[in-house]
Amino acid sequence: MQELLQQIISGIATGGIFASLALALVLIYNAMGLVNFAQGEMAMLATFAAFTLINRGVSYWIAFPLTLVIAFAGGILIQRIVIRPVERAPILTLVIVTLGLATLLNGLAGFIFGYLPRSFPSPFSAQTVNILGAFVSYQDLGVIAVTAVVLVAIYLLLQHTTVGLTMRAAAHHPEHSRLLGVHVSWMLALGWGLASAVGAVSGIMVAPILLLEPNMMQTVIIYAFAAAVLGGIESPLGAVVGGVIVGVTVNLAGAYLPFVGGDLQLAVALAIIVAVLVLKPNGLFGRPNVRRV
Amino acid sequence: MALLELEEVRAGYGPTSVLHGVSLSVPEGQIVSLLGANGAGKTTTLRSITGGVQWTGDIRFAGRSLRRMHTEDVVRCGIAHVPEGRGILTELTVDENLKLGSYLRRDGAAVRKDYDRVFEYFPVLRERRGLSASTLSGGEQQMLALARAFLMKPRLMLLDEPSLGLAPLIVRAIFEIIRTINTEDGVAVLLVEQNARLALEMSSDAYVLEVGRVAVSGSSSELKGNDAVRRSYLGY
Repeated sequence: MQELLQQIISGIATGGIFASLALALVLIYNAMGLVNFAQGEMAMLATFAAFTLINRGVSYWIAFPLTLVIAFAGGILIQRIVIRPVERAPILTLVIVTLGLATLLNGLAGFIFGYLPRSFPSPFSAQTVNILGAFVSYQDLGVIAVTAVVLVAIYLLLQHTTVGLTMRAAAHHPEHSRLLGVHVSWMLALGWGLASAVGAVSGIMVAPILLLEPNMMQTVIIYAFAAAVLGGIESPLGAVVGGVIVGVTVNLAGAYLPFVGGDLQLAVALAIIVAVLVLKPNGLFGRPNVRRV
Repeated sequence: MALLELEEVRAGYGPTSVLHGVSLSVPEGQIVSLLGANGAGKTTTLRSITGGVQWTGDIRFAGRSLRRMHTEDVVRCGIAHVPEGRGILTELTVDENLKLGSYLRRDGAAVRKDYDRVFEYFPVLRERRGLSASTLSGGEQQMLALARAFLMKPRLMLLDEPSLGLAPLIVRAIFEIIRTINTEDGVAVLLVEQNARLALEMSSDAYVLEVGRVAVSGSSSELKGNDAVRRSYLGY
């Protein structure tokens, strides 16, 4: 029983990491109907920025928000320079552009930082605390707390601020929004910045576990895809719930299904993607369009 | 000087040209109707004004040319455009739609007063504030679109067929409120309508478009009284 609880809590922690990256995917999908295959590499690069800052002696809790700001600016820059010229191109063109961007960023990171895995500091101790008989690490609790704060902040920004409202408006109905004075193109850029910052959180949180190297996010992004698809690719809340479900499921499968172990965990994520697409293509929170006729 | 002036405006979609030189003007605080059959270019005229379609010639608003301006900047000059299909953001709530009308304004106290007036004109919007705009009926959506345009505190409203698909009683109510907004706030209106009789009743001047050109124009009472014009262009 305690072990089950332990596995679930640690699954929630990894789920929070997936949720952040999944939310980043959803933010961009909502804004332009595009799955951003470069999201993971953007997060990886941001994590290298954090690594560099920390190595230069900047304290973790200053480097963390600073990295989010850098990631935010980087996201806006990428939208302006790489995405905007092809904004009106067919979706397949855009997908190929993001794939190219992923390769480019990956190579760039390898060129600058090399491919040697580096240990990344965690601000949370690896010691455990006893919760209802389960031994839970401060590391897991810290990751859960950080991602929760970030996700709530994004929710508040989108749902309860004017800028969030105009971002949602621009994403859903660009033409109508322009007629209300919304600068749609800038809202898209803002969406990219925001997604980039949220994605960076997942990179920084996962780096102490996976070790930092240019390919670090390549499995994480698959889990994030699974989470986003499970939640219904359009729903920010769905991405979060999906992330937690995927995190817990994968963790439990790894612990209790002997044939899964550590090697087939990624296959579980892929199985989730396929199952959702077959059984419930709209995902858990993807709403069918309700409208009065 | 007129608030809005179009001078020899030509516009179209790609190789298809729709407007072949339209000139018209809307005086400050007046209602002007733009009439004509389907495909005459009424909607394209409105879309040219707010930069939704490429145009040549000149369009001036309050003395300033709108040439090469983006839609969002034209709108910020004080033009509220309720487009064909009403432009409701159906993924958002009624309240959020209204807020998108007023979010650029800095006169907080006046905004609150305007909200009170909106809910006085359209009590049903107050009841539905928290609901998704997609659940509104056609008439309610038209009310929402008009309310949102009003909250933008424009100097000019462009209304594209506000009567389309609505029951006569609701059309009456909506036109009554358009008139109120016009007289009480001095908002000028360029009104595109299929229902010529109703439009001529409301407006001071009218233009009749025929395949992308102004075929007839004059004061509304003149056009109403002219049997030949009425029969050949207005169809009643």
